[in-house]
Amino acid sequence: MTAISPRRYVDQFRRIFQDPILAISLIVVTVFLLLAVVLPILAMIGESTSPEGRPLFAHYLGTSTYQTIISNTVVMGLVVATVGTALGFLFAYVQVKVKAPFKRFMHIVALIPIISPPFAVATATIVLFGRNGLISKGIFGVRYNIYGLHGLTLVLALSYFTVVYLNLKGMMQALDPALEEAATNLGASKWRIFRTVTVPMLIPGLLSSFLLLFVESIADLGNPLVMGGNYEVLSTRIYISVIGLYDTTAAAVFSVILLVPSLTVFIVQRYWIGRMSVVSVTGKPTGTPQLITNRWVRWPLFGLTMFITLLIILIYATIFIGAFTRVVGVNNDFTLDHFDFVINGYGSAAMTDTTTLAAVATPLAGLLGMLLAFLVVRKEFLGRSALDFAGMLGIAVPGTILGIGFLLVFNNPIQLTLPFGGAEPLTITLIPKLTGGRAILGGALAIVIVYIVRSVPAALRAGVAALTQIDPAIEEASISLGADNARTFRKITLPLIRPAFLSGLIYAFARSMTSLSAIVFLTTPQTKIMTHQILNEVENGRFGNAFAYCVILILIVLVAISILYLTVGSTTGAERTLEGGA
Amino acid sequence: MAGNGNARRDSTGDLRLENLSKIFPEREGQGEVRAVNDVSLTISAGEFVTLLGPSGCGKTTTLRLIAGFELPTSGRILLDGKDISMQPPNKRDMSLVFQSYALFPHMTVFDNIAYGLRTAGMPRAQVQAKVNEALAQMDLEGLGERRPNELSGGQQQRVALARSLVMEPRVLLFDEPLSNLDAKLRVQMRSEIRRLQRRLNITSVYVTHDQIEAMAMSDRIVVMNAGRIEQIGTPQEVYRYPQSRFVADFIGRANFIETRVEAVDGEQVTATVLGRTVHVPMEPLPKVNDPLVAVLRPESLYITDDTAGYPAVIEQTMYLGAETEYIVQAEGQALTVIESGLSALRLFDEGQTVGLSFEDEAIHFLPQTESVAV
Ligand SMILES: Nc1ncnc2c1ncn2[C@@H]1O[C@H](COP(=O)(O)OP(=O)(O)O)[C@@H](O)[C@H]1O
Ligand SMILES: [Mg+2]
Repeated sequence: MTAISPRRYVDQFRRIFQDPILAISLIVVTVFLLLAVVLPILAMIGESTSPEGRPLFAHYLGTSTYQTIISNTVVMGLVVATVGTALGFLFAYVQVKVKAPFKRFMHIVALIPIISPPFAVATATIVLFGRNGLISKGIFGVRYNIYGLHGLTLVLALSYFTVVYLNLKGMMQALDPALEEAATNLGASKWRIFRTVTVPMLIPGLLSSFLLLFVESIADLGNPLVMGGNYEVLSTRIYISVIGLYDTTAAAVFSVILLVPSLTVFIVQRYWIGRMSVVSVTGKPTGTPQLITNRWVRWPLFGLTMFITLLIILIYATIFIGAFTRVVGVNNDFTLDHFDFVINGYGSAAMTDTTTLAAVATPLAGLLGMLLAFLVVRKEFLGRSALDFAGMLGIAVPGTILGIGFLLVFNNPIQLTLPFGGAEPLTITLIPKLTGGRAILGGALAIVIVYIVRSVPAALRAGVAALTQIDPAIEEASISLGADNARTFRKITLPLIRPAFLSGLIYAFARSMTSLSAIVFLTTPQTKIMTHQILNEVENGRFGNAFAYCVILILIVLVAISILYLTVGSTTGAERTLEGGA
Repeated sequence: MAGNGNARRDSTGDLRLENLSKIFPEREGQGEVRAVNDVSLTISAGEFVTLLGPSGCGKTTTLRLIAGFELPTSGRILLDGKDISMQPPNKRDMSLVFQSYALFPHMTVFDNIAYGLRTAGMPRAQVQAKVNEALAQMDLEGLGERRPNELSGGQQQRVALARSLVMEPRVLLFDEPLSNLDAKLRVQMRSEIRRLQRRLNITSVYVTHDQIEAMAMSDRIVVMNAGRIEQIGTPQEVYRYPQSRFVADFIGRANFIETRVEAVDGEQVTATVLGRTVHVPMEPLPKVNDPLVAVLRPESLYITDDTAGYPAVIEQTMYLGAETEYIVQAEGQALTVIESGLSALRLFDEGQTVGLSFEDEAIHFLPQTESVAV
């Protein structure tokens, strides 16, 4: 850079250190991300390149069994990404561009998968379409083998397409209808407009949806465990290495192999697609979009969308009914035993533990996300984009990898030993043991940290998007009137980005309650987590208990969302805080 | 800061900028932008000073340096003799009125105005009283419970002003606060701002690119160009005695006529302009035969019947009601002439040959430098 650069960075930090609270926040955020995200990943990479680890790379990459696992993973990622993007596009297109009935209904159904635990869909699918499936065997009389790539594709695509749907819907709505009107004026047919105007404008959105689904699906653990059958992928292999074989080195090597495509996609997404000039979002699109009314287009699209909508309903109905049924398809008697098991019996501790930990993590993740967004958008300092990058890593990196990293870094207390010339050395514990047996708070702290790390990225992106819409002069006005950064953040920034804050909180809670891959290695006998127990119940064929867990989990998430809406979302609530503190 | 009362009002608010520079890294690319270049300026307590210049000349950056939103690359800022260059903006006893008003959209008008007072920890009752007083003063009574988006542009402007004024800062800073208002309101608000500023006697630094606004409001005008100060002076000084072609051209309109020094006598320079020999004081004095540029404002030129005055041909006539504007061809160049009052009643035709004349006092000489480009 130019000669003034070093001086410029000194200036920037001088600037930040003028305000102690700002400086402390920056330091705390940085240290947290270093310890909770960067260090575990580095430790995992370090472990894989240890003398025991290095030969394993050659072994795994050179043996056909493992080559199959790797190619399985990639193929699954590509197939799910394709199907899921297509599903999301279909739903969005019908919602925005086609004249069709029941739009609101289809919209709401499409949102359901966000708040459900990972294998709810998989388990219900097995019950419906498996060897003894209610539909496959019950109606069609075939002992269908749902396990494998096709079953996985179905459940993963249904589980993850919602995000794609919401992204593309937002983009299509932001597309200036004037563009399509212009094309129509020039005499283009609807089909031609679709090909030459709509699709090209959405390409960045489609690409990033595709990549997102690819990463999500290769990182997924629960569904391949339940639905994979003989179709083994890297995440299940990592799980078996740790849980079955107690071989963290092998797990680390597999993790690094899995990390390569995940990080590549993340970086491509961030530095290439992120820069592509997206849709000309004009803010307020002019004109009304022309809805497609041609019945040869309209009804097939509607039919397909409605079919999938009903499929989703069928799956969730199965979960719900299954929770009240002794053994679905075998003994259809009504029972409350499953709920008794979850609420009063073995599952009770998991229910309270998970909810408590998620409830602790949620506000922290929400605030951290907004704070990070504030620092990244409003402040200038060396390492700003690295901080943003680290903030996003929590989701870019598959959960299993984060979990192993935690095991490697925090299974022993991190201590500093100061030698005192011959005398007894002084040992200071910097970070206590967080994971495994006798961990601090029974491992709960590690789980909360993982919940936060996994939830921050969504809050961060929402915060960044909201902040860039707000005139920085508004915050400067607050400072000019004598408020410091902390007061400005509390009184001005946070209330103004409240919708982003709210969605960050909702996402954090839902994500925490439903996450499995990142915490599966971190649960301890003292800290029980619902998703982990659902997995046990499914693996042991006790679907009824699993369904009851799922229903309760979904209810907890719904109740939490309502509470968040009432406290953070309502206008009056925020105003009360504003005046109360004044 | 807000509670200090009015007592110190008369004695403080002395603002000094010493060799202030600000270099930005280029927004795109690797270069650098010298947005403010060695600016020195002394503003005395209670003075109203305007930074005037074309867009991009560094006015906003200078103002933000004073406010503390930017840190100077070099140079110092002193307030009442104390170096505040490194003080964070919230600790400086100043208040900035933004071009976009920057009202807090989630707060009522009342809360907007009360914000700074509450931040300073002023007791509730006192806040109430002060804000109500401010509302009354700014003609905003009854609007206290409205949200900013329920106000007209002019009302929003008043709220922004009230919000800064209630703080009774030592220095008020304005960044083109009127540029979003329509012309009529702008004229009304500028006299209102000036009236309030005079009454409260708060040192004010006002940024604008509108020379009329600058002339109408300021005790002194600082004309800026490309990050540097071109000239500092009262409105009359910068208009009557511009020190550069840039200033002459930016403030009002000017005709430039090239000539040469014929004689230097005491403090006066003798030269010929439009066929007439004039004696005009000049500083610093040039040498005989140096090239000169005479600055002649369009309204100082008169058109007379063809026999008297310097011969010229009317090229274009524009009747504007209160005045008439002519473009005339004389001495091989196009000159602008504005006739107003009674003389505007008589219209000369395009193509007509006329005589040009002027009062000697209207002439102002500039040294002819090589940087002619404006
Ligand atoms: N934050 C910044 N980064 C880079 N360049 C800037 C920045 N702020 C202002 N500049 C540049 O500095 C110059 C002066 O800008 P400014 O002070 O806003 O001018 P004015 O207010 O007179 O229009 C311009 O060339 C502008 O592009
Ligand atoms: Mg400006």
